[in-house]
Amino acid sequence: MPGSANSMLSTQHVSHANKFINDLTHSDIESHKTVAQYMSALDAEVTYHKFYPQLNQFHPLHFFTSSDSGIISKNISCSSLGINVAGIIRAPRGDGKEAIVLVTPYNPKKVGPGEALSLGIAYSVFSLLSRVTWLAKDVIWLVADSQYGEYSAVSAWLREYQAPVFHEAEIVNSETCNDSIAISELGQNPYSDRNSYGGFRRAGTMAAALVIKVDEQGNHHEDSLNIYPEASNGQMPNLDLINIVNYLGVHKTGFRIKVKKMFSLLGSRWLNTLGGIFESLGQIARSLNPQWKFGISATEYVEGAATLASSMYSQGLGVPTGSHGAFRDYQVDAITLKISPKDSPTKMIRRNDFILRGGRLIEGVIRSINNLLEKFHQSFFLYLLSSSSKYVSVGVYMIPFALLVAPLPIVAASLHADASKSTLQSTYSSEVEVSHKSWKWLNSARKVLVIHLWGAVVSLLPYFLYQIPNSTPTTNFTVWGILSAFSLIILYFILGSPIFEAAPSQPEKGEWASLKSVTISTAFIGLSLMSVINFATAEIGALLIVPICLMARPLKLDAQARSWRALLRATCNLALGFIAFPPVAYFLVKGAFEDFNGTNVGDYWNWVESLWTWNSATYLYVGIVHLPCWALCIHILFHPC
Amino acid sequence: MSTKTETPVKKKNQKKIQCFWSWVIGSVILRLIIIYFPKNLNLSSRPEVSTPLTSIRRLAEGYWLKQSSMSPYAGSMYHGSPLLLTLLGPLTVKRIEGQPDHLLCSLVFVIADVVTAMLICAAGKKLQAAYSSSLQSIGLHHLSEDSDILPSGDFAALLYLWNPFTIVACVGLSTSAIENLMVVVTLYGACARLAPLAAFGWVMATHLSLYPAILIIPVILLFGYGPDAPPRKLFRQRTNLEVDDSASGDRSCLEDELVNEKRMLNVFSWRPVVLFLFWALLWSSYVLVLCGIYVQQHSGLQEMFKSTYGFILTIQDLSPNIGVFWYFFAEVFDFFRSFFLIVFHGNILLMILPLALRLNHRPCFLAFVYIVLSSMLKSYPSVGDSALYLGLLGLFAYELKDMQFSFFLFSGYVGVSLLSPVMHNLWIWRGTGNANFYFATAIGYACLQVLYLFSLISGPLLVLILLLSLFSLLLFLN
Repeated sequence: MPGSANSMLSTQHVSHANKFINDLTHSDIESHKTVAQYMSALDAEVTYHKFYPQLNQFHPLHFFTSSDSGIISKNISCSSLGINVAGIIRAPRGDGKEAIVLVTPYNPKKVGPGEALSLGIAYSVFSLLSRVTWLAKDVIWLVADSQYGEYSAVSAWLREYQAPVFHEAEIVNSETCNDSIAISELGQNPYSDRNSYGGFRRAGTMAAALVIKVDEQGNHHEDSLNIYPEASNGQMPNLDLINIVNYLGVHKTGFRIKVKKMFSLLGSRWLNTLGGIFESLGQIARSLNPQWKFGISATEYVEGAATLASSMYSQGLGVPTGSHGAFRDYQVDAITLKISPKDSPTKMIRRNDFILRGGRLIEGVIRSINNLLEKFHQSFFLYLLSSSSKYVSVGVYMIPFALLVAPLPIVAASLHADASKSTLQSTYSSEVEVSHKSWKWLNSARKVLVIHLWGAVVSLLPYFLYQIPNSTPTTNFTVWGILSAFSLIILYFILGSPIFEAAPSQPEKGEWASLKSVTISTAFIGLSLMSVINFATAEIGALLIVPICLMARPLKLDAQARSWRALLRATCNLALGFIAFPPVAYFLVKGAFEDFNGTNVGDYWNWVESLWTWNSATYLYVGIVHLPCWALCIHILFHPC
Repeated sequence: MSTKTETPVKKKNQKKIQCFWSWVIGSVILRLIIIYFPKNLNLSSRPEVSTPLTSIRRLAEGYWLKQSSMSPYAGSMYHGSPLLLTLLGPLTVKRIEGQPDHLLCSLVFVIADVVTAMLICAAGKKLQAAYSSSLQSIGLHHLSEDSDILPSGDFAALLYLWNPFTIVACVGLSTSAIENLMVVVTLYGACARLAPLAAFGWVMATHLSLYPAILIIPVILLFGYGPDAPPRKLFRQRTNLEVDDSASGDRSCLEDELVNEKRMLNVFSWRPVVLFLFWALLWSSYVLVLCGIYVQQHSGLQEMFKSTYGFILTIQDLSPNIGVFWYFFAEVFDFFRSFFLIVFHGNILLMILPLALRLNHRPCFLAFVYIVLSSMLKSYPSVGDSALYLGLLGLFAYELKDMQFSFFLFSGYVGVSLLSPVMHNLWIWRGTGNANFYFATAIGYACLQVLYLFSLISGPLLVLILLLSLFSLLLFLN
């Protein structure tokens, strides 16, 4: 049971930590040396890890390849060298095969008060752990150099830890940087004679990792703790890790645990009304039978919905919400704990108390993980958070998604059957035509294939556009749009002659139906595939693309019908077709989940760029599934039947 | 009149062939382009492409062992034929500066693919000639003219070359390209009635992957009866009709008809069959002698059989692949193991006889169905095996024009082949899934293949057997 042991962190550790913070913020020597000095004073093994910040590159195939070795940009200069400091405490009771990682990002050029405080909390825990007897897993404290972004520092260290590349090490240690101050002074560091090692030191496999941060500004209400769990492509850490933090935070240290939520939804009237309805329904149900307890209060409902939406949005983006995301690529569970104190760290009166509480929380979490006999169980990776203590499991959230996409194969099958039947009737006279009726769909399949190829081309274009120097997002976006349209026209003309051969010569009645059935089946395949890769993207994408896929019907037919129903359908189709256009959909989703502050087409480009620098599968989904399906639906709408 | 009708047909064929060659060259260029990005795709380590039997890395290991004068089968790494080692082994070692590794090997596989396609094309032509001649002998001339619209040989060859499965297997350096080549050599040799060639193909295919051994039945039928023809009772009906018409005619005419009937009925001719069997014996002894020479310093042929055929039959390697056996035999208790081995392998043998009885007038199609069956029920299946039967499907394009579920099957194959790597990624790399995720796609793939077989032969009994065995497997697992 987490938290059953008494906390051992005392005021003595805290006062040491205070001294450490003062030294760090006020001393003249470089801060990484101070850190190393303090670490080695605790009998920890100290190592420096030098790295070059790595630019995120566009790897279209990254998702399917395993964790690859990084490619360093060629023009690296010695000044851009980052230095991580890692201290390792060997467990007295362990066999050195497992480890727990603490990460505190900080900027050595300018140590902020919040960063200093987070380092202080980590130091207090670290100093305690170096003396305890119950430790069964090694503890690594990584002080990550965040001057080029904390994610790149942590991921560089992890890459070196998990998958060392030897030629890369040669580059770092090569002659070119020998005159650099950083490396030459590291060699003759007077403090770390005993415990500093030249090479890279490792502990065992990582059981879990905690990234500790302290907010720079106080929030004026109470000490609270924000949990950031999302890693790349909507992967989540094991739920048990969040549960431990939540349990200890609430029951032991009295932090208020928060998960990110959408504040725009909290005030929305319709959600509050819906919550009110659910509340009254629950009350009615309870008055009928006191055993029924599905009632939920309106505020709780609204809060849960806002958290759920936020969880879904950040999973759907596929961009990690912090440096913990780097760990997930190596199957290590990690979360970021961002403690936001009541008062601002600079003018904090109860700093010792704050460090004590933060330290006790971290100590408790580490002790719980330390006592684990095995890895966290594999079943709790697929979930959406609706509060820090509640979640929606995969078994529950798959049901609405399945219901949403289930009409697609059914409609596709019925359209396919109808199309083959109609061709049978219309061309019964000629024997040869009848003979190929079961392969009629091949023609539509070729069209769909060509459009999907176009989608792949469009999603590769930014790779080339990125090479253009000095371009604003807006121009890039415009060029991208023009090139996409141009490539579509080229594909139509080059491949048009052999591929669309049959279409103009004998425009058939059922042609659009068979095209629609193939489109719908590809949409179904794409959505099901995406639901396995990143569920949140698939869910949001399905909400956008499924209606237009199901509704699409040539406008000409609707216009000929001249009934209210047909006109309504045509308007719906036009509206849905407009909504599903990717940039429009982006602005709508962004407006729904974030705030509308100044819409600019350049924003879309920026968003796309952020997606592909983080290798998000959402990017591939938009390019290869959503865009072609939308284009095909529009093609069906304007089909000359 | 006949010359008049022939010229446009000829022209059409010529036109087709022009287009055909550019498509062939296009497929080769596509392969060469993909070969230049081996690191990005990393296809040769994918479980869908390389099985323990077909992996080039294992072959390179076997060659290395052999070079350091150890048995190539030491350490349970290599399980292929010694002849492949002599052919491909030296190529795995050679590196050209600045070129991707295994470039020469991949070139061999590209050539093997192209040759396979050419042989499929030639076999298709033979089949078509036989088909139109048999149609003419029944008297359905107009049908034979219509069938010129689909030059099934060219179609099948292009289908084979452009099938993504073939491309992936070729670029992923799976030796199944060579196994497929040997199977197609058998088919072509039998269609062209070249006994030595057919025997060579059959012996080599059996030697490389064991399962093509069952092809001996369609090959014997091919040599005995000739290529595919409509059922023999059709011929009899036609002759009977003619006999009825000419009943009033004189007796000599009737005798003439009887002679004709005998010619058309194509009674089983033993001579080419015996020739084929003789050549098969000759080739197999030759192959055995070669293998014996290669492995004689080590423990000889016995070890070779143990670690090739034995490895196939006892399913020792349970690493995941797109079949269902690995999961099943990972779950099964040890004392049931031999029983289920017999059951699973018996599954193939069980279906040989009914299929042979039903399709004995169409030996080529029978061979095709056998290939589908064996690639479905073999112990280490890969996409290379599916590539062969999906390509051969084109040969029977005319017969299968009314194939049911074609669209469903197509979507299913696309879906499963995309889902399988994703599930594998989820299981192995992300750690958020487990083996059941990947196995689910394997089950889906197996069901698809059953449906495919069903739509091919529409024999309810066989499908019942297959489905029953599949469901019994599922029930057992639960």
